[in-house]
Amino acid sequence: MAINRLFIRRRDGRVEVRLNERGRELVRDLFEQVVAAERDPAHEWHASLSTPIDPSNDEDDPVAILTRQSETSTNAELAVMTADEQFLNDREAWAWLTTMQVALRSIAVTNGLLSDEKLAQSDEEMRARVQALQQLLFSLAECF
Amino acid sequence: MRRTTTDTEVIDREKLETKRPWNVVVWNDPVTPMSVVVVIFKKVFGYSNNKCTHLMMTVHHEGRAIVWSGQRERAETYCVKLQVSGLMCTIEQER
Repeated sequence: MAINRLFIRRRDGRVEVRLNERGRELVRDLFEQVVAAERDPAHEWHASLSTPIDPSNDEDDPVAILTRQSETSTNAELAVMTADEQFLNDREAWAWLTTMQVALRSIAVTNGLLSDEKLAQSDEEMRARVQALQQLLFSLAECF
Repeated sequence: MRRTTTDTEVIDREKLETKRPWNVVVWNDPVTPMSVVVVIFKKVFGYSNNKCTHLMMTVHHEGRAIVWSGQRERAETYCVKLQVSGLMCTIEQER
């Protein structure tokens, strides 16, 4: 992957994806994992997609839970469908950003990286994975 | 008579409980880039860049920030939107 400018907002309004094949593989895998995690309660990321809305209640509103599941899946599926595109419209670029952010949070929750200390103590491979995702997110956020 | 008074007190307390606003709370995490938080606040709430940056810095320094207050249903809707965007978010009723 290039160091920066992985995504560029063009004059015609579309977002250009400047990832090499390795970068494409990385994001495709993340997008597919979010789709799988939303569908499969046994997936290691599933719990991080089901966090409480109102922790003071034993159960959240079923309609709110369904809405969250539906919107998360819609974004992730759109991201999977456009994973090989060179240009993204606004809706597609937003689906990429939110799905990458959901994946990053899931990695953090699953691996207990919930404080700066824990992140610093994690192994080099994990830190590299997190940094690669942060770089992608940082570059895409600049397009909004 | 006594019973009526108690009933009235209960109803009054319930009205007060219902009137207290619900807060949408965003929690800090060590991995989310700051610029991503700002972009998500802008998209979900339509706040100005300054307000989004201020809220993001509050989350960063204080561990949490109340990003919206009001009716429970709307708070729940905003919370879901923020969770779908990948932020750590909950709702709570103002004390």
